[in-house]
Amino acid sequence: MTHLSAPAPRNFFTQEGTKTSVLRLFRNRFLTGLCITLALFTLIPLFSIILLVLKNGLPLFSLSLFTQLPPPPGLEEGGFGNAIIGTALMVGIALTLSVPLGVLAAIYITEYAPTSRFAAAVRFVAKLLTGIPSIICGVFAFAVVVMTTRHFSALAGGVALAILTIPTILLTAEQALLGVPNAYREASFGLGATHFQTIFRIVLPDALPAIMTGVMLAVARAAGETAPVLFTALFSQNWIHSLMEPTASLSALIYNFASLPYAYQVKMAWSASLILVTLVTITNIAGQLLFTPKHR
Amino acid sequence: MIRNALSSLLKIMHSEPSRPHTLSNFTTALGHLRSSVLMMASLTQRNLKNSLRGLFERDDDWCNDCIVEDEEIDLLEIQIDKEGFEVMSRFQPVASDLREVISSIKIGANIERVADQAVNIARRARKINESPLLPEIHLLDQSAALATGMFDDALRAFAERNAQLAIELKGRDKELDRQNREFTDALVNRMQDDASNLPAYLNLIFVSRCLERIGDHSCNIAEDVVFAVRAEDIRHVGK
Amino acid sequence: MTTAENTASIIAPAGQRLELTDDFAPGEANFIEVKDFRFFYGKKQALHGINLTIPSRKVTAFIGPSGCGKSTLLRNFNRMNELIPGVRHEGDITIHGTSIYDPSVEIIALRRRIGMVFQKSNPFPMSIYENIVYPLRIAGQKSRHVLDETVERALRSAALWDEVKDRLHDSALGLSGGQMQRLCIARAVASRPEILLMDEPCSALDPIATAKVEELITELKKDFTIIIVTHNMQQASRVSELTAFFYLGNLVEFDDTQKIFTNPSNQQTEDYITGRFG
Repeated sequence: MTHLSAPAPRNFFTQEGTKTSVLRLFRNRFLTGLCITLALFTLIPLFSIILLVLKNGLPLFSLSLFTQLPPPPGLEEGGFGNAIIGTALMVGIALTLSVPLGVLAAIYITEYAPTSRFAAAVRFVAKLLTGIPSIICGVFAFAVVVMTTRHFSALAGGVALAILTIPTILLTAEQALLGVPNAYREASFGLGATHFQTIFRIVLPDALPAIMTGVMLAVARAAGETAPVLFTALFSQNWIHSLMEPTASLSALIYNFASLPYAYQVKMAWSASLILVTLVTITNIAGQLLFTPKHR
Repeated sequence: MIRNALSSLLKIMHSEPSRPHTLSNFTTALGHLRSSVLMMASLTQRNLKNSLRGLFERDDDWCNDCIVEDEEIDLLEIQIDKEGFEVMSRFQPVASDLREVISSIKIGANIERVADQAVNIARRARKINESPLLPEIHLLDQSAALATGMFDDALRAFAERNAQLAIELKGRDKELDRQNREFTDALVNRMQDDASNLPAYLNLIFVSRCLERIGDHSCNIAEDVVFAVRAEDIRHVGK
Repeated sequence: MTTAENTASIIAPAGQRLELTDDFAPGEANFIEVKDFRFFYGKKQALHGINLTIPSRKVTAFIGPSGCGKSTLLRNFNRMNELIPGVRHEGDITIHGTSIYDPSVEIIALRRRIGMVFQKSNPFPMSIYENIVYPLRIAGQKSRHVLDETVERALRSAALWDEVKDRLHDSALGLSGGQMQRLCIARAVASRPEILLMDEPCSALDPIATAKVEELITELKKDFTIIIVTHNMQQASRVSELTAFFYLGNLVEFDDTQKIFTNPSNQQTEDYITGRFG
């Protein structure tokens, strides 16, 4: 601390004007403190959610949650294994549709025709679509899949989630591909590789970690969406037997059970929330840790 | 004195290289080298003139001046070599700059030889002055003028980067060689007739030889100038 | 070898797998010819009417100030400039008498016969082994034996074998700067091209690494025609037998290196190499 009564010994680095430097020092520390405090504040919502979910969801936590079906109202046993499988299935369908589509589209707009107006249009639309309300995805999948097949189905749910995740995956993949140094492409072309060989032997493998991170983040988001699955996959109390059947999902289960007047069902909703939050967190962390590039 | 001032001015003008380098250190270093050569040249010219004055006017003071001043010329030769070496190691010159540096070093060596010959003439002159005046001494007038003229022209060619002037010197060297031979023959005949002044006659023959040498060295300087300016090596051609 | 046979060695009809272990006969005297070549980046003309004949099995240096077109010309030999949109050319470049713009010439085949080394070394983020066999793999070579042999031969040519033979499967990115550049040279010569193009290969290297690469170039010229673009004139005079001086997209002078650096014919050349430019 600077004491006005005993000025610091003068050397090459001290500055003139102790009065102004005290003011500057105070301002500096005040702002730093403010920023730290506000940063801590942002952690509060996250930690409160985690604490709340843990507190209410842990009591009922057991293996049976994964292996048993939801009980009819009134009974106090069972689990929601079908919901977990349902969510996994729909997310799987979504990825099967959106990853190839998104990645290949990203390859087109970065490698084959980056300056074309078509690529610019694709980018623009993808950015728009990232903001699309998730319920619209559900409505769209309803109109396109449910109405034509005359079934509520897991497939429809998967399609809705796919529409939700395509823009994210496309844009993430585009950034990942742009992040590959141009020097690699030049070297590859100089050695006589075709465009195709360059992309699939050099560029894509190098961009893969970043693309996988984007995919993981999309998975985490899709797993937790409720609106798209509500009127596409509907709900089911049973194990799923085919893709064309309605299916339970974790988010729909939470939605349904939380509003029931039965205490047990509400507790199950909390447990489902716990499992969902855990899954999302693990996927997010895994996405960022597992695929960190080692060589940049 | 005005002549001295003018010649100094000329020296400064001619000591800048044809166009400045982007690196000013390089331009300055080359300039210094050139000035050193021009300084050495002018000192040697003066020494040569003094030694010939001492010979023809039979005045030992001029001879002594010449012998004393030679030390400074020797130091300049060392300085030129040192400066040239430094330019080459620091700046790695190429093309015309490289040729200029190498020529400067070689011309420095040749000027030093001319200075040595001037000293030799001065020493011989002192000895000759001890004897009575010999009329034959004026047979050397032409050779002295020719040799001095050749040396002056060679240095002028260097100062002006004039290769054409340099090329013409070769012809005059042949004339100087002829005059030396003639003089030697004439004096040998005289020595047979008049044996009393033998030492003086021998010294005169030596002086003639010195003048002939000065002509040779001036030719060498001319050859180096042609190499620096035109990248042609005209030595040992047409012998 | 007749011109027709030499031509066949340069171009490959679509789909034909090139035999990479063939040895090529010594080139004819006039190997690469540039005929009244003009090059444009969109509206801007980068090269004005270049006429040049580059002989084989020699090192030719391209020198000149920044932006004079030397790299542009170099990258036209293997048509790398066509990766940039909006470029066009007039005039012709022939190798062994065949125009590189001839419709029967596949760009891919052309680039496989010409190796290129860039200013900043760019090994792939793979192992040393995989880097070197990449050009063979993209040509369809699968035999493990051939690949292993090629790796050793290429690394020996690049004077790198002894330093890395025990860690061929380590990442190439763990090498030092000079080693990486020599790896890129090894990769470029792996498929035995006839011509090696080097675009300021030493500008990012320290003096010792530079000296090793220059020594390498002197060794390689026994088997390859080498064209090197360099900013460093001492390097050009150390390493090359012929030098071409470019200025503002024009070829100003092209002659023996010895002549250019002792007594160039052109005043502009003299001004540039003695440092009187600008």
